[in-house]
Amino acid sequence: MSGHDSKYFSTTKKGEIPELKEELNSQYKDKRKDAVKKVIAAMTVGKDVSSLFTDVVNCMQTENLELKKLVYLYLINYAKSQPDLAILAVNTFVKDSQDPNPLIRALAVRTMGCIRVDKITEYLCDPLQRCLKDDDPYVRKTAAICVAKLYDINAELVEDRGFLEALKDLISDNNPMVVANAVAALAEIQENSNRPIFEITSHTLSKLLTALNECTEWGQVFILDALSKYKAPDPREAENIVERVTPRLQHANCAVVLSAVKMILQQMELITSTDVVRNLCKKMAPPLVTLLSAEPEIQYVALRNINLIVQRRPTILAHEIKVFFCKYNDPIYVKMEKLEIMIKLASDRNIDQVLLEFKEYATEVDVDFVRKAVRAIGRCAIKLERAAERCISVLLELIKIKVNYVVQEAIIVIKDIFRRYPNTYESIIATLCESLDTLDEPEAKASMIWIIGEYAERIDNADELLESFLESFPEEPAQVQLQLLTATVKLFLKKPTEGPQQMIQVVLNNATVETDNPDLRDRAYIYWRLLSTDPEAAKDVVLAEKPVISDDSNQIDPTLLDELLANIATLSSVYHKPPEAFVTRVKTATQRTEDDEYPEGSDAGYSESSSHVADGATSPSSSSAHVPSAAAKQPAPPQAASPPAAAVPDLLGDLIGLDNSAIVPVDQPATPTGPPLPILLPASTGQGLQISAQMIRRDGQVFYSLLFENNSQVALDGFMIQFNKNTFGLAAAGPLQVPLLQPGTSAGTLLPMVLFQNMSQGPPSSLLQVAVKNNQQPVWYFNDKISMHVLFTEDGRMERASFLETWRSLPDSNEVSKDFPGVVLSNVEATLEQLAASNMFFIARRKHANQDVFYFSVKIPQGIPFLIELTTVIGQPGVKCAIKTPNPDMSPLFFESVETLLKP
Amino acid sequence: MISQFFVLSQRGDNIVFRDYRGDVQKGTAEIFFRKVKFWKEDGQEEAPPVFNVDGVNYFHVKIVGLLFVATTRVNVSPSLVLELLQRIARVIKDYLGILNEDSIRKNFVLVYELLDEVMDFGYVQTTSTEMLKSYVFNEPIVVDATHLSPLGPAGLFMQGTKRMPGTAVTKSVVANEPGGRRREEIFVDIIEKISITFSSSGYILTSEIDGTIQMKSYLTGNPEIRLALNEDLSIGRDYRSSFGSGAVVLDDCNFHESVRLDNFDVDRTLTLVPPDGEFPVMNYRMTQEFKPPFRINALIEEAGALKAEVILKVYAEFPSSITANTIAVQMPLPKYTMRASFELEPGAVGQTTDFKQANKRLEWNLKKIVGGSEHTLRARLTFSQESHGNITKESGPVSMTFTIPMYNSSKLQVKYLQIAKKSGTYNPYRWVRYVTLSNSYVARM
Repeated sequence: MSGHDSKYFSTTKKGEIPELKEELNSQYKDKRKDAVKKVIAAMTVGKDVSSLFTDVVNCMQTENLELKKLVYLYLINYAKSQPDLAILAVNTFVKDSQDPNPLIRALAVRTMGCIRVDKITEYLCDPLQRCLKDDDPYVRKTAAICVAKLYDINAELVEDRGFLEALKDLISDNNPMVVANAVAALAEIQENSNRPIFEITSHTLSKLLTALNECTEWGQVFILDALSKYKAPDPREAENIVERVTPRLQHANCAVVLSAVKMILQQMELITSTDVVRNLCKKMAPPLVTLLSAEPEIQYVALRNINLIVQRRPTILAHEIKVFFCKYNDPIYVKMEKLEIMIKLASDRNIDQVLLEFKEYATEVDVDFVRKAVRAIGRCAIKLERAAERCISVLLELIKIKVNYVVQEAIIVIKDIFRRYPNTYESIIATLCESLDTLDEPEAKASMIWIIGEYAERIDNADELLESFLESFPEEPAQVQLQLLTATVKLFLKKPTEGPQQMIQVVLNNATVETDNPDLRDRAYIYWRLLSTDPEAAKDVVLAEKPVISDDSNQIDPTLLDELLANIATLSSVYHKPPEAFVTRVKTATQRTEDDEYPEGSDAGYSESSSHVADGATSPSSSSAHVPSAAAKQPAPPQAASPPAAAVPDLLGDLIGLDNSAIVPVDQPATPTGPPLPILLPASTGQGLQISAQMIRRDGQVFYSLLFENNSQVALDGFMIQFNKNTFGLAAAGPLQVPLLQPGTSAGTLLPMVLFQNMSQGPPSSLLQVAVKNNQQPVWYFNDKISMHVLFTEDGRMERASFLETWRSLPDSNEVSKDFPGVVLSNVEATLEQLAASNMFFIARRKHANQDVFYFSVKIPQGIPFLIELTTVIGQPGVKCAIKTPNPDMSPLFFESVETLLKP
Repeated sequence: MISQFFVLSQRGDNIVFRDYRGDVQKGTAEIFFRKVKFWKEDGQEEAPPVFNVDGVNYFHVKIVGLLFVATTRVNVSPSLVLELLQRIARVIKDYLGILNEDSIRKNFVLVYELLDEVMDFGYVQTTSTEMLKSYVFNEPIVVDATHLSPLGPAGLFMQGTKRMPGTAVTKSVVANEPGGRRREEIFVDIIEKISITFSSSGYILTSEIDGTIQMKSYLTGNPEIRLALNEDLSIGRDYRSSFGSGAVVLDDCNFHESVRLDNFDVDRTLTLVPPDGEFPVMNYRMTQEFKPPFRINALIEEAGALKAEVILKVYAEFPSSITANTIAVQMPLPKYTMRASFELEPGAVGQTTDFKQANKRLEWNLKKIVGGSEHTLRARLTFSQESHGNITKESGPVSMTFTIPMYNSSKLQVKYLQIAKKSGTYNPYRWVRYVTLSNSYVARM
């Protein structure tokens, strides 16, 4: 017995390395073993012992497994930094891989796979080939994982040497350990490959379901996770699968339970029998609840998953709300998650019980938890109309305790309650006003000010109350300033007396002249202009009825929820983010943009929820923003955009001096083929010259395809073209190349176009005014229509995740929709293909009742995205098109294009 | 899959560090520790067990003051990783007898050997101590356990969470006893953690029992074991019977993978060949009404200007043959409490009281409470300011922690423990022990 290993940590005196070197080369086995232990000890505490590489490797040839393992551990650590020396070990490895002892064989392959040095990898293939077919299951299961290791180092090698096939064979191995590892390895390889490598067929399915019963608990997780990707072809098979997976819910290992839940949820989507579904829900509830008896860490994971599950299937745990009541010794991260689920499960039936709990939590010590509890009460009030009054009375009770942060939080939620139930609970305003002086948090202050402004006519001293805030106006945070501005305007409109009039002067002055906050200034200018031009209109705008809010905070978007539910029992379901948002190792996918970088992990916690309510539609700050945003940009009187139609006269001003530096090399203008171009200048108008033209897109470039037909009696030459200012600033990228046109002949040309050359102001329009001249005739003007789809760029395809991200990041006001009653979608495949050819890229499809919903992305130059949702019943006329984009003013043009594209 | 596994001490020192895939940078232990230590600026808040920093996902569990951590870059099953961390801790404990910083440091070579077999390329291979024995060759160096309570039938397995109770069996499953031959014995512990919330008027708002039947076997030759539970045991709340009928109704239960349930539906017996090491045979959960072992009565009343009186009463409602130990009662007091003076019953022994100035909390500790007895504490409080009216709202709830050996609230029992063995003289020691622990035991004011 060598005494305590910890002594190996204590050799820190000088000359340690030479001393170790000597010991490593000792003739005594024990001494060498001791020395290797010391080296490993030094290695684990981060000391550099790489200089001992040769000496340690020399100890490798030993029958002593204990020593061998230590040397291997060292090798794995330092081989990368000493690749040339690592080669020294190869012979021993290869020899070991044929050792009669299966442990040594396995150890050799296992270790070689961990040494990521090319030269070693070359030598790994033969031993690996043997070990995959070894008699001993321990060797085979080690070899199975080793294939995944090798794939990570050199995928080609794995495919060339046929290891994938060998791995697939192992799925049918008679040892469940081997099967589990083969499944794990194949799943990982599939994850990193574009090709279908590991596809679950109904044959593998049944094999794996059988292996499931004999596997270790961890193997069960691997298999369940792999199987969860399997889509059963019909409800009967789905039921079948579920039946075989359900016993896993009884497993003591939480990971097995959650993976089984995932699998069952997945198959449930396919099961049509409501009885079966109800029965499954009933079966899943107790094991889900039991997860909450595990360690708090597991509870946290379970709660984050349950949060998703109840959003899809609220009935599962509808009667279990009690188990989500917080225990006093729960860690804070568990308490926060429980609160969230309690809100989701709160109903008219249990609200009294729930409120009692929330009230209790609101008097606890932890400030964040208390705040969240107060907010929870407000959210229940918004969610459950019949309970609103009870919720409010609880909030008032809490306000009376006069704990500062409780009061502030309560005021914030009461503001939301007022928005939800206008003109119902104003009687409590007086009580709220009592706490006015204690408010020191911006959000609470802003909420209170919003309340005062909104109900100015019912608060006798509203002007005094607001005035008390005005003194400190310049020092207030922006959030409060904006509310003060709006509230004062409301007050003035409701009580246009002298006091408020003076106040409004002060505020407008402060908010325009004294501030450098553009939001504040813009808003102030709008009010100013509104008030000075038409006070009645101002009233209509500022005091307009507000849309009723609902509690959508922490509610997950349905498409995202779908994706997250498919990822139950993975990290994704804990973060509530799609995997692409935080997994950076994916090699095959196209490079992600930097904007979906996962922010500091903070969202894994619960901080997101606390600020959410105020940012959403419930915030008073948005209540006054009825003003169209386009008008809000310029404080100065907006330049009246000249209607494009009036601008023809100066069109040829610089036609002759046309010096557009041709950016695009002009390809040999090919005669345009395909359908005839629309005639824009009929011969009757053009003194015998007929011009047909259309904007087209080819190879990522916009061209103006023109056909000139000379029906006149003279030859025409010297053709030139000019485009008037237009919405997209389309202009010719080079001179028009039309040869001398003899009478009775025609010539076609492709004119390359550039964008953003001469942009017109004013609302977007598809109008394109063109002027063409030649040496023989007067200048011809004609109008064309810009089909926006020629601008759709080739890079418009978005990843699902960034699509969702973008969709969510755009405010709802940017969503516009239109019906195309005459359009029929019958051949989906063909349509999608056709759309893709026009750079309208298909993202996803889902079923909604009998309708199909399709999602597409499009980008136009300057990277402006359009997210499109098409809803239709296949084969029946009528397509609804909804789009979301940062530039909603383009939508009329956009709809036109989409409609054109959809028409056969 | 898992990229790295490491164990950090409370101070953040690296005790064990194993990299399985090399796809995560080296300094993760430091990044992790800083993140956990300063989760919120004030350092007051606990980090969630799973979080992401710069594309690396960190998982951690706290076990006996040590941080067991795993990192990964991919979208793994978090419950698998967290469960695994617990299991690694258990395996190490099985091998070393005691799990602490000292024992790990003294056995680091063994620990690395274990880790190599537990995971390969970040994929869990096995966490069964039994299986590991065939692949692991280092011998554990047993650390001195004399300062820990000695082995015995009762009252010894109190600390720790549900899955890692310090069963007080501090014997390594692989190391030989100093005497040479190992003692043939098997421990079966029925550990129940109870959570109760009493309303201010003393009604039970919520109650729950989380139970585990835990086993640790030191039997040679792995004989088959039969464990018989109450015959009238039923599972699923559909069977809920009224309180007093005596039948035990569990909401749900689950079993260790070694357990065979062939006869469970017929006669409520479990059959298993226990693997080496400590493991839960069965976990169960019960919300059926049960008699709470303690009732708590708490009262706070104003007693003149800037003064108030607290009266705390605890009733032990279990048989007098049973004694609870290490009882602690805590009650948060109003924020503006300045001082508290205490008055115990005359003749009270083994009781201490304290007023924690920092978090304004009253603490009352009792060494033991005999079944059927009743204890009272009076405290006089002095306030620094007038109360806003409702001092009851500003104090409480009262929480209580305790251990009651040889008692279980659910009435679930191991009726017999049968060890199949050929020889007639073979008669190993069998320890079947019950213990009830408080989980969240709270009385609202």
